[in-house]
Amino acid sequence: MLRLEDLSVRFGGLTAVNTVSLSVGTHEVVGLVGPNGAGKTTLFNAVSGLVKPSSGRILFDSTDMLRTPLHRRARMGIGRTFQIPQPMHELTVRENLIVAQRFGTGAVDARKIDEVLEFTGLTDKAERHAATELALTELKALEVAKALATNPKLLMLDEVLAGLETNGKRRFMGMLKELHEKFAVGILIIEHDIETISNLCHRVAVLNFGELIADGTPDKVFRDPEVIKSYTGASDA
Amino acid sequence: MKMSKTGLAVIFAAYVLVPLLLGSNSYVMSLIVAAMIIGGIALAWALLGNLGGMVSFGHSAFFGVGAYVSAILTMKAGVPVLAAMLLGGVGAVVASLAMLPVLRLRGPYFALAILAYAHIFKILATEWTSVTGGSAGLASVPRFPTLMGFDLSSKTGSYLIVLSLLLVFIAAYRVIRSSHYGIALRAMHDSEDATRVVGVNSTLLKALMLFVSAFMTGVIGAFNVHYINFLEPDYAFSGLWVTLPIVAAIFGGYRTILGPLVGAVTVYLVDQLIFKNLIPSGHQLILGALLVAMIIFSPGGLMPLLRKGTRRKHAAA
Ligand SMILES: Nc1ncnc2c1ncn2[C@@H]1O[C@H](COP(=O)(O)OP(=O)(O)OP(=O)(O)O)[C@@H](O)[C@H]1O
Ligand SMILES: [Mg+2]
Repeated sequence: MLRLEDLSVRFGGLTAVNTVSLSVGTHEVVGLVGPNGAGKTTLFNAVSGLVKPSSGRILFDSTDMLRTPLHRRARMGIGRTFQIPQPMHELTVRENLIVAQRFGTGAVDARKIDEVLEFTGLTDKAERHAATELALTELKALEVAKALATNPKLLMLDEVLAGLETNGKRRFMGMLKELHEKFAVGILIIEHDIETISNLCHRVAVLNFGELIADGTPDKVFRDPEVIKSYTGASDA
Repeated sequence: MKMSKTGLAVIFAAYVLVPLLLGSNSYVMSLIVAAMIIGGIALAWALLGNLGGMVSFGHSAFFGVGAYVSAILTMKAGVPVLAAMLLGGVGAVVASLAMLPVLRLRGPYFALAILAYAHIFKILATEWTSVTGGSAGLASVPRFPTLMGFDLSSKTGSYLIVLSLLLVFIAAYRVIRSSHYGIALRAMHDSEDATRVVGVNSTLLKALMLFVSAFMTGVIGAFNVHYINFLEPDYAFSGLWVTLPIVAAIFGGYRTILGPLVGAVTVYLVDQLIFKNLIPSGHQLILGALLVAMIIFSPGGLMPLLRKGTRRKHAAA
């Protein structure tokens, strides 16, 4: 479904993503891990269109994303969350989802919005002001809800579990597992916690200084010495 | 669309009481019409600012283009005045197409670029003598027609036309603001990236707001030319057609629909009746000073200040 071919993103002299080739199959759950500053978020930004790759290709369902305007990528089925939640500031939770649905799918379906609210546990907060009246867990849930409202085929989750306390994390994990089935999406998830990744993902890819250093089943990848080295180097993060 | 009792009462007063009570006083009527012309531009300008998030110093271009298109169509092509006014709005939209490339610019850069574009139209009107009459301008631009025995070119008739235009603008603004486009535009304000990744074409939406704003301003420019019956480049493209509305819109509160209109009437009348008597030349300086004071003490403008009590209660609920 998603295929990156030799993708590079440079910011001036810094190569944030360096000739990365990676794919996510339909309905597959792939983890993306790596130390801080490894280029994970930048890779998401390239796929969703917020930064321009310097070279390489991004194919989604065989369509060249570099020729596809940013706003059309949501319609094609690319959904994402932001590491630092970015609710649409002036809107209520429900309005956030209405915008995502109306522009991300082209249609309006109030039932589907209620369903997404229910699923993400935001029903009670639907009429709240998104920027000022939500707790962190709810903001993270809204990130997922916005993406779901666009009816994605691929859901890119950027550290949605980070910063949550244990209970919140467990509930969120349950939601992610269920979501994969219920909404029939493929998932590419950035996450630092190895246990979470092992628990959730079919496959895991490791970035280090912008380069892909491993790609395989969690079992295998997390036993790879090079991966362990990059990880322990950043384990204080 | 819901309309409050107060709203209906104001509309009734505007259509019936004002003409009955003041219609015979042509000085007062001309003050009111002039204030409403400023109000119309202020409303259009505020729509672009509030929904599109853009600050424009170039609205005098739309005003002038609307005026020229309508005047030329009536004089050289025999188009009826009321139809030509709408085409004047269309002309302003076409003029705004030339400004599309600057939509990518943000904040002050957009404002300055659009100001430069505005100047181009003024040069065009001055140099294209065969069509526009050059710097000498156009005289005896056709007046409003007589409709069912009622002379629309009278002070009261003109007042009723501009009143109707403003009401249509207000209705259109409300429809846009509460539509999905309006919600998406509101979403873009502080969260453009978040809004774009869910599929909103932000450039297109902003362009549409520019078109709507240009259209309204062009129609007002066209109205004005048939109201005063002459036209010349310096007048049609005068910077006053944008500075006065900006002062009015900010003074009244550019994020509200009625604020710019209330602001226009207040600012224009205070300027004409008080400041002009105090300082016959350069009286607009006082407006500038007031504007600065306003931005410092109530950045949201006059309307939010008036409504503060009710807002507070609402926010606490
Ligand atoms: N817009 C930008 N302009 C310049 N440099 C950037 C930009 N975005 C990211 N970078 C740099 O690119 C590198 C990769 O950043 P990125 O955010 O992709 O890392 P990450 O793997 O997501 O890290 P983290 O785990 O901390 O979220 C960093 O050095 C960062 O400073
Ligand atoms: Mg990151």
